[in-house]
Amino acid sequence: MIKAIGNIGKAAMHTTSSLFDTLAFASRVFLHLFDRRTYNSACRMVFIHQLYFTSVQILPLFLFVAVIFGSLINGMAFQMIKNLGLTDYLGRLLMDFVVTELSPFVTVLLIALRSSSAINAEIAVMKVNRELNTLERFRIDPIHYLFVPRILNGMLSMVLLTSLFALVVLSIGLLVSSLVFGTSVDAYIDTLLHSADVLGIVILLIKCATFGFFITMIPIRLGMNASQDLTSIPIAVLNGMVKVFLAIITIEVLSSIARFI
Amino acid sequence: MRFFDSEDTLQTSLDAFLAEHKTHLGLVSLEVPLISNLPVWSNIALIRQYHENMPWEKARAFVLDLLKRFDMTGIAEKRTSSLTIEELFCAMLIRAAMVRDAVVVLDRPFRILPDHPDSQFFTDALRKVDDLIAEAHIFDYSREKERYRATDGAED
Repeated sequence: MIKAIGNIGKAAMHTTSSLFDTLAFASRVFLHLFDRRTYNSACRMVFIHQLYFTSVQILPLFLFVAVIFGSLINGMAFQMIKNLGLTDYLGRLLMDFVVTELSPFVTVLLIALRSSSAINAEIAVMKVNRELNTLERFRIDPIHYLFVPRILNGMLSMVLLTSLFALVVLSIGLLVSSLVFGTSVDAYIDTLLHSADVLGIVILLIKCATFGFFITMIPIRLGMNASQDLTSIPIAVLNGMVKVFLAIITIEVLSSIARFI
Repeated sequence: MRFFDSEDTLQTSLDAFLAEHKTHLGLVSLEVPLISNLPVWSNIALIRQYHENMPWEKARAFVLDLLKRFDMTGIAEKRTSSLTIEELFCAMLIRAAMVRDAVVVLDRPFRILPDHPDSQFFTDALRKVDDLIAEAHIFDYSREKERYRATDGAED
């Protein structure tokens, strides 16, 4: 019994210490975002490459998913609204559920699956290959050169792709709306604008940026935990992806609480 | 040239030297490999792009000029895994020479070029970038002295 309690205590201490380490690392990286040296030619090049890998290469898959999700969600939502006679709530449903909740969630899942895992493996491989040692020897700060461009890209990509997802879904909504209710384009846009809430959009943007920050920062930190053994790479990726998932759930819950407050 | 009998003494002396010349250090060593997800030109240009904010077009042109001195412009877009050991050595040397007023240190070069019978290849390579280098130092084992064909000024 005492041993079991001891084990729970150890696990709790380990989790707390890991959480504090992650937050300390996050604050270090966050401060570097405002450092002028971060934006030199080399770091800008990394940022542009990362933006291409994350936001451009994913576009065919992303648009496909957005169209499929958009059709499904709109089809179900419009049918339900029609059956229940809740047409007045169409705008609220689209803005509060599709734009504010669904779009960032699907986007963050896609980026986490594709880019977070790649970043995690990339940093772990660099650690194993002693490439981080190279940067140190040439006085290149890995936070400036490797981490900040990836994290900045994560934040920007999340905002851009979430907006694109919302735009695609709302466009499909217009199509379904005109087919089901015979709504005109002007009326549809008017409904959306009346349902839009500035504070909600600000929270959405902050949420997207926070998602982007953590789903790139956590894989980097966990990738850095790899040792010099090749076998440590899958372990680092596995741990990183589990923590990315936990971070997504935590941010989702916190943003929901913020919205309701 | 500095020669050492054991790995420990070499490593201690090398570490002290590297710490002393940290700000202008251009190290050529298996311990500081090229970054595997960057092409050769980018590995080399990185030093000036990062430290001097040199625009990438200018940095790339500069690197291509340096590669031309070695007749190796063809490797500019290659990754580490597709380089021969000679190309790898030259890329690492040019990268080291990109440091402003570089103090270039060749750390056990025969570990990078194990099949070379003597030091001719890397002394020739050093000559091709000597306008960029302030100093060049070689750290190696005493057992390799013969391959250097010269021991003048060597220390134990």
